Amino acid sequence: MTTTPTRTFKQKLILGLSKLYPMAKRALYRFHGGVFPRYNKELSLSHPLITDFIPKTLVLPLQQHVGVITEPLVTLGDLVLKNQLLANTEKGLAAPIHAPTSGKIVAIEERTLPHASGLSGLSIILESDQKDQAIENSLDVDGSIPEMPDKLKALIHRAGIVGMGGAGFPTFAKIPSQKGQIKYLLINGAECEPFITCDDVLMQTRANDIVQGALIVAQSLGIEHILCGIEDNKGKAIKAMQKAAKDTNVQIKVVVTAYPMGGQTQLTQELTGIELPAHTHAIDVGVLMMNVATFAAIYQAVIHGNPLTSRYVTVSGLGLNHPFNIDARLGSSFKELALLAEPKTPLTYPLIKGGPMMGIEMQSNDVPIIKTTNCILATPPEPMEEPMPCIRCGECMDACPINLLPQQLYWHSRSHEFDKVEELKVFDCIECGCCSFVCPSHIPLVQYYRFAKSEIKHIKQEEATAELAKKRHEFRQERLEREKKEREDRIRAKKEAVKQKAAQKASAETTETEKPKANAAAAAAARAAKARAAKNGKETPPAEPKLSARDRAIAAAKKRTDAASKPTESNTTTPTKKQKDKPKDPKAAAMAAAKKRAAKAAKEKHSTQADATASTETDATDTTDTMKDKRAAAVEAARQKAAEKKRAKQSEQPENDSLETPSVATKPSDETTATPNKASDAKRKAAMAAAKARAKKQQSKTTEEKT
Amino acid sequence: MATIPHTSPFTHNASSVRKVMLQVQIAAFPALMTHIYFFGFGITIQWTLAVLTLIIVETALLKLRNRPVAPYIFDLSGLITVTGIVFCIPPESPWWVIVSGVTFALIFGKHLYGGLGYNPFNPAMLGYAFLLISFPAELTQWTLPSEVSGHHISFIESFHLIFTGQSLNLSFDQLTGATPLDEVKTALAMGVPVTTTLNSTNFNGEQIPYGWAWINVAFFIGGLWMLYKRAIRWQYPVGFLGSLALIAYVFHWIDPDTYAPASFHLLTGGIMLAAFFIITDPVTSSTTPLGRFIYAAGIAVLVYVIRNWGAFPDGIAFGILIMNMFVPLIDQYTQPRVVGYRR
Amino acid sequence: MISAILIFLALAILFGILLGYASVRFKIEGNPVAEQIDNVLPQTQCGQCGFPGCKPYAEALAKGESEVNLCVPGGHEVMIQISEITHREPKEMEAEPENIAQKIVAKIDEDICIGCVHCIKACPVDAILGATKMMHTVIESECTGCEKCIPVCPVDCIAMIPEEVTPQTWGWPEPTPQEAPLIQTFPPKD
Repeated sequence: MTTTPTRTFKQKLILGLSKLYPMAKRALYRFHGGVFPRYNKELSLSHPLITDFIPKTLVLPLQQHVGVITEPLVTLGDLVLKNQLLANTEKGLAAPIHAPTSGKIVAIEERTLPHASGLSGLSIILESDQKDQAIENSLDVDGSIPEMPDKLKALIHRAGIVGMGGAGFPTFAKIPSQKGQIKYLLINGAECEPFITCDDVLMQTRANDIVQGALIVAQSLGIEHILCGIEDNKGKAIKAMQKAAKDTNVQIKVVVTAYPMGGQTQLTQELTGIELPAHTHAIDVGVLMMNVATFAAIYQAVIHGNPLTSRYVTVSGLGLNHPFNIDARLGSSFKELALLAEPKTPLTYPLIKGGPMMGIEMQSNDVPIIKTTNCILATPPEPMEEPMPCIRCGECMDACPINLLPQQLYWHSRSHEFDKVEELKVFDCIECGCCSFVCPSHIPLVQYYRFAKSEIKHIKQEEATAELAKKRHEFRQERLEREKKEREDRIRAKKEAVKQKAAQKASAETTETEKPKANAAAAAAARAAKARAAKNGKETPPAEPKLSARDRAIAAAKKRTDAASKPTESNTTTPTKKQKDKPKDPKAAAMAAAKKRAAKAAKEKHSTQADATASTETDATDTTDTMKDKRAAAVEAARQKAAEKKRAKQSEQPENDSLETPSVATKPSDETTATPNKASDAKRKAAMAAAKARAKKQQSKTTEEKT
Repeated sequence: MATIPHTSPFTHNASSVRKVMLQVQIAAFPALMTHIYFFGFGITIQWTLAVLTLIIVETALLKLRNRPVAPYIFDLSGLITVTGIVFCIPPESPWWVIVSGVTFALIFGKHLYGGLGYNPFNPAMLGYAFLLISFPAELTQWTLPSEVSGHHISFIESFHLIFTGQSLNLSFDQLTGATPLDEVKTALAMGVPVTTTLNSTNFNGEQIPYGWAWINVAFFIGGLWMLYKRAIRWQYPVGFLGSLALIAYVFHWIDPDTYAPASFHLLTGGIMLAAFFIITDPVTSSTTPLGRFIYAAGIAVLVYVIRNWGAFPDGIAFGILIMNMFVPLIDQYTQPRVVGYRR
Repeated sequence: MISAILIFLALAILFGILLGYASVRFKIEGNPVAEQIDNVLPQTQCGQCGFPGCKPYAEALAKGESEVNLCVPGGHEVMIQISEITHREPKEMEAEPENIAQKIVAKIDEDICIGCVHCIKACPVDAILGATKMMHTVIESECTGCEKCIPVCPVDCIAMIPEEVTPQTWGWPEPTPQEAPLIQTFPPKD
């Protein structure tokens, strides 16, 4: 059953009107807003699809999806065949990764990811042997359609299929486990981003795969309605799909070309009239939408047992002489493919992953294609018009497909009023870029929302950690309090026991009848105290006297260094990777800072002497190069510190004494630069002198008064 | 060191603040022509004076505020402001009226708040209100249309009038008179019913004041063009003119002797200028679709109230300034429903 | 004369009733000030304010016994918030934190640690695991970065390291309007 793109009178009228007034086209579709950029789709459509390109090296990041990172199942030097499983994990939401071609694993290392941050992630590097030997039916299927959703989910999971429209959410996790939960199965063929034609080409060349893939999903999930939305600027694709959908219950629906028609919320509304409620999954309202490429991949997995190892990618842009579409192996380099398209000028500018509306500028051009990459865009940069202040014109609001207030979001994001930004529902923003596209002031609105979203997440994270820290701190305070009380109780109990014993002894001599009673009570008390003590001891070791603990620690450390100096040498010669990566400077700086603070505190407590040790300490840490030296120095430092504390304690004593003489209290302690003993001597002397002087003065005063 | 990523979208519909402002300026052209036809070349002299003042004041203030001068002068937003004021004041008013009005509007209406995009009050109306309060006599002496006064003022005459305050061969009083709004109001105060005043010669016997009406029509045409070009939003003129017409119609129906008909209200004073050029200033008006409508309707109510029961013949300036104050409140309560949420 | 007095009397009574009603009807069941302050403090429990933790500092502030600018990790922002809550004049921060933007956590060099348990006792949030003579380790997710463990370590095996940024934790930077020089533009509709 197919429908031809017949237009109603109203549609014709609006189309006619739109020649006069372009924005009239907004009345042609159901969602709010939307824009009509120049599509430039003919660029890549004018050249044939490339299917036989196998790059020399393929970089396969271990995380190409939303969820947890996979773990490699191959090791260095392994020879692998196409479709062989390379990485998987059972630890959570993930999609396994398969070899896109045959070859050798040459490295498993950090490589730059195709991510906006330009950060790197662990990747398997595969060197192809150009033979492209494949394991046929590597998923081991019998070509029958799974009757139960669970079976289909398992198979899709094994095939490593993720949402290929861009989100990268593992597809199996999107499918419900029960039959009949879904009313509408939607095929997203509305490729609304300018320049991108990979879905268009896929529909033209593999329409049957897509339709069959949809029928497989529909059959195993028990879905009645299958709707496929294709924008009306893809005539060939519509025809091919209609042909493939003949005699099936797949309905091909032609929708108006408008950006962002391909968004899930927008296309669902357009095809079914259902407005997806916020904060719920589409399957909760009985809608399941997937990209055409995902359906094709499902077909390949279910019928032929082929995992997802390649995808259609558009290589286009105004900077290329020969833009094309390619059935690219996952892991192919952006740069390599862009070079294949004969750039007009050297590729000194960043390539863009995705289309011009939602694409992301790459920090490095040598990043791999992953399962979600649909386009590589190369256009030489041009000077941008300078952003002007917002004039609140409201164009952005009219363009927003979610009906947000972009301009208010911008004001609050800019002034960092993130609670208000959240109230204005920034998290419902799909970052489609319509608002920035129409902004006459050229404000980078989308980046403001991305920034606000990141900040809000960050603030929430911080709030959570602060809350945790607060709880833990309070719990600790409580525990310390309890311990203190218990210790006091114990001591009291002991004292009482001793007292009672003494009393008993005394009473035993006088009256023997009272003895057993009192004795029993005392014993019970003592036992209880003991038990409590034992319990406490189990929970946390009772606080030991500081000095003895330190001495013991030093002794232990000494012993260990002596013992460990030999075996640790092997450790030091081959430092583990982690240690190598660790930034040394911040560590040293942090240490120094902390020490400085400590030194400052010490200084305030007991004169300048602590400074000397602090500086020797930092010196010591600076000179530590090898582990052995480090440890020795550390022990030395510890010893010095302990000694210093001892000395400090000693020096505190006389100071406290001197405090008793009133005149010293007014004297600044900074003046005492000699050793504490001397200083306190001097202080005492000074105090005495002062006291004497005062006494004299008083005397003279009194004499004066007398006279 | 990772560079800060440039963000999508990497394409734009090529609109700009300057283009929008230029469209507004172009849309005012028919009205300018009509104005010259009926009231002589006074307005061109006023306009030139205003632009010169604008350039001097803007440059000085941008320099003082350490902002780049060129991009902020060439965004043409100041031009819209001065054009608004020029159309509001009598074409033969003394030169210092426009100069002081423009200066006040730019300094107190715009730059003191942080320049373009940050001002809460419509600068043009602020400037005009300032003039209205400071120089009421000068601002009520409108040049009469040549059809009424029987004399077409030449460029030289206008020049003399503006800079010296004296006419070459006719007395100032012969050339100028009260505006229709004023006339109706004064007549009413003297007990003359509105219908009688409207049928006097000054009104061409058609109940529609001559000259002023045609300028309003010219503004209307320019406004339609701006709507087509999406330089302004439809909610403003529709909300404003619709509400004003409705109120005027209802009151006229109740008591035709006291209240002028809707057509009179729509085509006198600066109604069309306000509907398409002044209240549509996006910076100082509400931004939500419903908010714009409420804002525009609120101004209409205030204009009608001030016209009929207030001390001033026309209430556009004060109506707009009062509604400007309500904008944050309106915005707060008229947020549209976000997709996926229920109201 | 009498009528004027009566009118004003009536007005006074009316407004008195209104105010009284409003004070009952719109009474704010707010947190006590100390709790409010505690909520804005960063809860690092670092003690850099001179109090043993965030709560004691908050309590001292609520009683008006402390300065508003003592919270070093909170920085300027927290100082402003505190001064708003306590209705006191903001005061310039004396010490600026060295690293505001990035969270730092303590890391024990496990080869050097001698198992002295000093850091365990110093840690205000019990984020260090270990026992006497056993190697210690920091629970990174619970470390507040207060640096209290650093001075007490006898062998200096604790370092503060910035938390690693991953693509999952990476956030978009704030757009800087000043530097928007080159961008790839795709010519729009003609």
